[in-house]
Amino acid sequence: MALRVIKRGVLYAVLVGIAVVLLIPFFWMLSTALTAEADIFAWPPEWIPKHPQWHNFADAWKALPFNRYLLNTLFVVLLGLGAELASETLVAYGFARFQFPGRDVLFFVLLATMMMPFHVTLIPTYLIWQAFGLVGEFDPLVLRAWTAWGPFYVFLLRQFMLRIPRELEDAAAIDGANAWQTFWHVILPQIRPALFAVAIFAFRGYWNDFLGPLIYLTDTDKYTMTLGMYFFLGGANEQPHWNYLMAMSIVVALPVLILFFAAQRYFVEGITFTGMKE
Amino acid sequence: MFANMGAYGATLIRWALVPVFLLLIAALLYGMLRLIGWRPKPAFGLALVSPWLVGFLVFMAFPLLYSLYLSFTDFSIFSGARWVGLQNYARLFFRDREFWPSLRLTVLYALLTVPIGVVGALLVALLLSQRVKAIGLFRTIYYLPAVLPEVAVALLWRWLFNSESGLINRLLAPLFRILRLDQPDWFGDPHYVLPAFIIMSLWGIFGTNAVIFLAALTDVPRSLYEAAEIDGAVGWQKLIYITIPQISPIILLQVVMGMISALQIFTVAMFVRPTSAAGKFMNQLVYERGFTQLHMGEASAIAWVLFLLILILTLIIFRSSPAWVYYEGRER
Repeated sequence: MALRVIKRGVLYAVLVGIAVVLLIPFFWMLSTALTAEADIFAWPPEWIPKHPQWHNFADAWKALPFNRYLLNTLFVVLLGLGAELASETLVAYGFARFQFPGRDVLFFVLLATMMMPFHVTLIPTYLIWQAFGLVGEFDPLVLRAWTAWGPFYVFLLRQFMLRIPRELEDAAAIDGANAWQTFWHVILPQIRPALFAVAIFAFRGYWNDFLGPLIYLTDTDKYTMTLGMYFFLGGANEQPHWNYLMAMSIVVALPVLILFFAAQRYFVEGITFTGMKE
Repeated sequence: MFANMGAYGATLIRWALVPVFLLLIAALLYGMLRLIGWRPKPAFGLALVSPWLVGFLVFMAFPLLYSLYLSFTDFSIFSGARWVGLQNYARLFFRDREFWPSLRLTVLYALLTVPIGVVGALLVALLLSQRVKAIGLFRTIYYLPAVLPEVAVALLWRWLFNSESGLINRLLAPLFRILRLDQPDWFGDPHYVLPAFIIMSLWGIFGTNAVIFLAALTDVPRSLYEAAEIDGAVGWQKLIYITIPQISPIILLQVVMGMISALQIFTVAMFVRPTSAAGKFMNQLVYERGFTQLHMGEASAIAWVLFLLILILTLIIFRSSPAWVYYEGRER
């Protein structure tokens, strides 16, 4: 009995200890964000600033045209997300519910593309967009989304579709539903959790995307939040304004954090499901 | 505020035209397949998959081969491509001062963070799979660092590792004094840059990996543990002889995917911006050579070296897997 109590105690101590270590950087980030410029380098630091400088957030936001960057980012997120959800669901449906010659080979190729480093196709892809005259526009960031370019998402959606009992579709077929109607009324409602998971992941993907904007967006008016942050960081020899940078880091992180914790159930279900099944 | 309305509108129109175009291709494909005697259902299936196929051919297969070709040329945006044979590779291997340090940093980073990450994620998952109170709260806290955008992670750790006033150096200052060492400039010193990046990656250890492990652990049949207990097995024996073999296919998946993504580290590195003296990761080199110095042939060569590296490491892991991965219903 005593041994059990000790074991429990050790377990909780370890759990709490790790949690504290993981949380300290967050606390430090918030603390710095609320510190006045002059006090940042003070030691020992004021962990809880006596005079929290909430205006740091507003000052940092106004230091660059972040209003515009936010609008640009939302535009990219919206277009990318919409195209991706539509195309990936349909492609997954094709792989999950239709027999055709070469299907398994194609699906294997799709899985293999998950392993392909993005940078190896970077330059030719850039040249393709250049040939279309679209470098500098938002197009390179969003048009490809129509081609179901997230292999992991297609995989996830297909796995969910495979789980749907065939009887539902057979019943729909007996009632005279065609492939589209079956897709719309039988398949889509069943894969809702997977759709949420894909939407959350894809949202984070577009929101955080850095390489795409870095290469394709040349006009400062078109910068996204992440790219704006890169220039907010300043030149290599400038001393960064850490309080502003931490404030903006929190701002950039907030939508993602809120989304993930609001919808925790969906994406946990989503990733555990694909991680498990062959 | 509304300066971009024109650009938004133009992109929006093109964005709306792409699915129309893809639909046309799908319809055309369907018609052709029907003409050569395919039955409606298989033809419809392939037509459904065709948008992905178009994307794969145009944005994957073609660029892959084209970049291989470019790596044998001196292509830059301003000049055409001139065949130079193996010159780009020769320059990288024998004359480029940044190439080998970058390869070393990238490979070491992957070889160290992936095992540490997988073992760590497994340990955390084992901890969290215990029946404890407020487990939801712990899970949320543990997951928090992994959800944070890379930009925020990079900036935060750059500040934590700041050489003069960063929290880490301040806390470690007494230790350095005892050891008579200077406070390290973590991201500016080739000896410290690797540990700094590894510590940074450890913070996000309880990411997707651990969530999947956690689910895998609950899937291990209870009957196996009960049988082992009857045979007198203790805790660690159950872990080694039951838990690990049972979840080994998932470990394999994590190692492979982790290796691939670790070798491709880019965004975090760009925001942390280690000095040239400290070293750069390979993808940073690809970006610099291709898009700031405009030596796109050379950049393609670096990208291909990285690609081959990923292929080789993945193959090695897969080849070794029969020795340690256990699949249900198959003899070892």
